[in-house]
Amino acid sequence: MELFLQQTVNAFALGGTYALLALGLAVVFSIMGLINFAHGELMTIAGYVLMYCGLAGISFVFAVPLALLASTFAAVLMERIAFRPVRNSSGATMLVTSFAVAMILQVLFQNLISVRSQPVLLPEALSGSITIGGLVIGVNKLVAIISTVIMLIFLDRFLSKQKYGIAMRAAAEDFAVARLMGIRANTVIAGAFAISGLLAGVAAILWVSQRASVDPLMGFTPVLKAFIAAILGGLGSLRGAVAGGFLLGFIEIYLAAFLPPALQEFRDPIGLGIVVLVLLMRPNGLLPAASLKAEKV
Amino acid sequence: MKKTLLTTGILAMALTGGAYAQTLKVGVATAQTGALAHYDGPVVEGLQMGVDEINAAGGIGGTLKIELVQKDVRSDAAQTAIATQELVDAGVKVLILPCDADPSLAAISIVDSAQVPAISTCASSPTLPMIGGDYMFANFPGDNVQATVSAQWAYDQGMTTAYIVYSPDTQYTSMPLYFADVMETLGGEVVGRDTYTLGQQDFSAIATRIANMDPQPDVVMTSAYEPDFPSFIKALRAAGVTSQVIGSDGIDSPTTFSIGPAADRLVFTTAGHPTENSPMADFNAKYKETYGEESQTVFNAIGYDLAKVIEAASMAAGPDASSQELRDAIANLENVQGATSLITYKGTNGMPVREVTLIGVMSGERQLIGQPSPNPAIIPAPRMQ
Repeated sequence: MELFLQQTVNAFALGGTYALLALGLAVVFSIMGLINFAHGELMTIAGYVLMYCGLAGISFVFAVPLALLASTFAAVLMERIAFRPVRNSSGATMLVTSFAVAMILQVLFQNLISVRSQPVLLPEALSGSITIGGLVIGVNKLVAIISTVIMLIFLDRFLSKQKYGIAMRAAAEDFAVARLMGIRANTVIAGAFAISGLLAGVAAILWVSQRASVDPLMGFTPVLKAFIAAILGGLGSLRGAVAGGFLLGFIEIYLAAFLPPALQEFRDPIGLGIVVLVLLMRPNGLLPAASLKAEKV
Repeated sequence: MKKTLLTTGILAMALTGGAYAQTLKVGVATAQTGALAHYDGPVVEGLQMGVDEINAAGGIGGTLKIELVQKDVRSDAAQTAIATQELVDAGVKVLILPCDADPSLAAISIVDSAQVPAISTCASSPTLPMIGGDYMFANFPGDNVQATVSAQWAYDQGMTTAYIVYSPDTQYTSMPLYFADVMETLGGEVVGRDTYTLGQQDFSAIATRIANMDPQPDVVMTSAYEPDFPSFIKALRAAGVTSQVIGSDGIDSPTTFSIGPAADRLVFTTAGHPTENSPMADFNAKYKETYGEESQTVFNAIGYDLAKVIEAASMAAGPDASSQELRDAIANLENVQGATSLITYKGTNGMPVREVTLIGVMSGERQLIGQPSPNPAIIPAPRMQ
């Protein structure tokens, strides 16, 4: 039982990180219909800021907001430079653009920073663990769970109470009508990218605090997981993205924890098999976006 | 008329130019970008240093200069095959292939049919030359030898229960299987085995499983490397596992030394250590002079070793040797002094006999534990996957 609880804590921590990643994709997708595969590179940018702050001797407490600021700013810049010119093009064009942005950034990191992974100095407190009621919980797991909760609450409040948040929800529901109501497209889309950048930054800090290094290609795996989680939850639905992220985290951890040793090698295919099963039963994802209702697949 | 004379003159010079500027063309198809760049990048730096040094002294034997023809294979197996073909077509006499056995294996058919000797920069899979045939060589202590050294050390320290975490994804990451074999041969017990996927970010499920064992294993062995290894050891320590952790050469990188207290009970095998007045200490001093910063990994010195091996083989085979003759010369090399170790190919199938070094990490510092010779009787046979 204790082992089960312990693994559940692990699943919450991993699922939370996936949820933040998937949310980052979903926020942009819900408004623009774009899956931004360069989302992972926003994480890499935040990671490099942490690394340079460490080298410059800036305390982690200040490095974190700087990293968040950098990824948010980079996301807005990305929208302005790469995605605005192709905004009205087909989904395929935007998708290819996002791949191009990801690749260009990777090559820039490789050429301007280093092809090798760079160590990131982390506060020792993050590597420790605390015991709560017989459960040993790593501090970085706890931080992951707490930051996920904070981000989710923040996002929920922002979307339901703030003017820009409400505008974004309206745009997600029906962009054309929202624009007819006087909502400025540029503001809403830039806002969506800013939020997605902020989410990427938070996820990057959690991700980097586990691996203790950054390299130019580190964004690939997380964006892939985020993509799976977003599809699982229902593309374009924010609550769905969170549900999908947690479900993916739970699937991965429980399989790694409780699959018999002989089957462990097949953990990933089994995990993705479960995802496919879920999608067979709920083709539009766990919590489909409202806008999808009309177009049943 | 004057013009014709001039043209003929230039043409004549161009045609005869090759005769007096003799060079040994070495094709370098390595991963300068992508996942293997952590290793190939530093190796090529060291190789370039060695080649520059030889050329500055007039070339091999004072006459034959080395010309490196470089191609980036982006850590991709298919690209390695393409680059190798291009280099063979360009007429290289010796090939340098990427660090990992898997991309190197992709180039085998080309290497074999062109009969050009190929040396992998730092692949340590003992199966590489076995599958690769006569023209494939490695440049690193084999996985089975490294595992023998680390298992013997652990056993001698009184650690008798081992837990291994390996990945079947590549030859290299299955090194812990050799460790388990040696541990069992010595009389120790393997109390658990776990697998992970290359690039796996989260090791908390495995860490929790090990932490819940009673008693905890004496030693946990893995050959995971960056970025998997830091995640692994941090998860392990955060879950409360205090066992000795043993790793391998893939973690001989700056990140390992900046992990902090989580890496305190960590020992890994690698290819060399700059003890005072050793060739590697000399190399590191020269490296600092050339690149303006300290060498941060043994893979720089490994690249320098490659230059020394090529020099020694070319010296033995003569300046006009064909690639086949160079292959035979490499296969017969004995006690070539490299930066990390003495290197011998004679009597092996292409997996060199080299020193294995055990390094301990303590408070982020590199500590030499020893450079023991493995007992040949207990080295496991290469494991075909």
